Amino acid sequence: MTMLLEADNITAGYGAVTVLRNLSLHLSDNESIGLFGPNGHGKTTLLMTISGLVRPSSGSIRYDGVDITLNRASDIGAAGLAHSPQGNTLFGEMGVAEILELSAFTRRAKVQRKTQMERVYSLFPRLAERQKQLARTLSGGERQMLSIGCALMCAPRLLMLDEPTLGLSPKLKEELGIAVADIAKSGTPLVVVEQDVQFLLSLTDRLYMIEHGEVVREIDRTDAPDHAEIMKLYFGGDSDD
Amino acid sequence: MTEAMIATILSGLVLGSLYAMMASGLSVVWTTLGVFNFAHGALMTLGAYVAWTISEYLGLGLAAGMVAGTLAAALAGIVIERLLVRPFYTNRNMLLITVMTTLAAMIIIEKGTQVIWGPRLKQLPRIADGELFIFGSAISVHEALIVLIAPVTLIALWAFTARTLTGRSLRAAGQNQTAAALIGIHVPHAYGLAYALSAGLAGFTGVLLGSIRFLTPTLGSEPLVKAMTVVILGGLGSLGATAGAAFVIGFLEAFLVLTVGLYWTPSLLFLTMIVVLIFRPNGLFGGRS
Repeated sequence: MTMLLEADNITAGYGAVTVLRNLSLHLSDNESIGLFGPNGHGKTTLLMTISGLVRPSSGSIRYDGVDITLNRASDIGAAGLAHSPQGNTLFGEMGVAEILELSAFTRRAKVQRKTQMERVYSLFPRLAERQKQLARTLSGGERQMLSIGCALMCAPRLLMLDEPTLGLSPKLKEELGIAVADIAKSGTPLVVVEQDVQFLLSLTDRLYMIEHGEVVREIDRTDAPDHAEIMKLYFGGDSDD
Repeated sequence: MTEAMIATILSGLVLGSLYAMMASGLSVVWTTLGVFNFAHGALMTLGAYVAWTISEYLGLGLAAGMVAGTLAAALAGIVIERLLVRPFYTNRNMLLITVMTTLAAMIIIEKGTQVIWGPRLKQLPRIADGELFIFGSAISVHEALIVLIAPVTLIALWAFTARTLTGRSLRAAGQNQTAAALIGIHVPHAYGLAYALSAGLAGFTGVLLGSIRFLTPTLGSEPLVKAMTVVILGGLGSLGATAGAAFVIGFLEAFLVLTVGLYWTPSLLFLTMIVVLIFRPNGLFGGRS
């Protein structure tokens, strides 16, 4: 089992504000992981640090055996580490098909453009119906689909999804959940940030609970906590037992 | 139609074509980097002077001069982006700072051309000599060629930004830096390329203008103001809107020169822009509210 992603003792933040504190996690190339925990505790910052949008002040990140801690975001993306950011508005003045085509920008993605495009359209038939529509006129759910679609067009070796179902109706959430599960089944390792632990357990092999910028708990799917215990994790109580 | 009207229409066409070429370059930088390049007019001047050196001083011909002028301006654009714009990308007052830094570039280039080429007036030869008569009104073949070159240039520019992957990456970098980086677009490269493209276009336009007007260090300053008026009037967005606004300004200017005279024309053009913006805050062709 080789490691696809290893983050060691990451400390990162914005200016004087430290968000991540000595955070470590890892992912081997045949598993998917989930990140959960209260809002504002560093999950999004962690993904942004991994994809090169935020510079860590200490610690190191290795992807596919290579140190990428100080690499540019565009180079990390080009290496197949795709990131679908939270609430992404993408390129508002461009059409759906144009954005998807453009997302296969790097050399390794270009080769797979056609097959990935078909895959995106079969995962999200709504996008196929709206190929000419400008991204800014899409609904929230459609934008989310487009954002995931873009990440898929990058021909990912590892796909990070930041709250793919945030703010969506239960019906849309289910639709997206099925699509994400489909991606996971196809063998692309995922890092998924979500609030819904049950949803994460259905998609991923292991979960990290992140609080105050630290991993406070690691959960394996095989000994997953029940609902009451998760509530306890979120809202306090005896979480150390 | 009277001869004066035809002459006005022809003049409007020539002006509109020149403005469209200047303004589209300005618009490329605006839509990609979100800054106004105040050195755009000075880059036209630089292109014209370099073309003169190659074409007249060294006697290598206008075609060589045109290529050299375009390349020299593009290179200067890259230098300006690198030294005067890039350091301020992450600054929250980027727009304001780059107004000052690109104004500085404008002054440096203007004074620089004065030092290098001296104060004596110069002029570039025309692409072709002779005149055409249209319904009894004369237009030089050179100006007629400008009217043809402008749409070809604009269509080429549109095709590049809308159809090619590189061109699309410029638009993407302009609309969302973060998302562009995540799909593997090196945003600073995209910015540099947008600047080079815009500056090259300025240089090329300067060469065309240098055959109609005399070369002076301030050759580009009045056209710069017009180009900015055009970009703002069009609605700071698509190339189509910019081109449309360029011809509106061109025809309006030709008409105003005919009716109220040269003296009041610039003021009235500004007044028109202000009035249009009051009723259409997003410009003539800017649809979004």
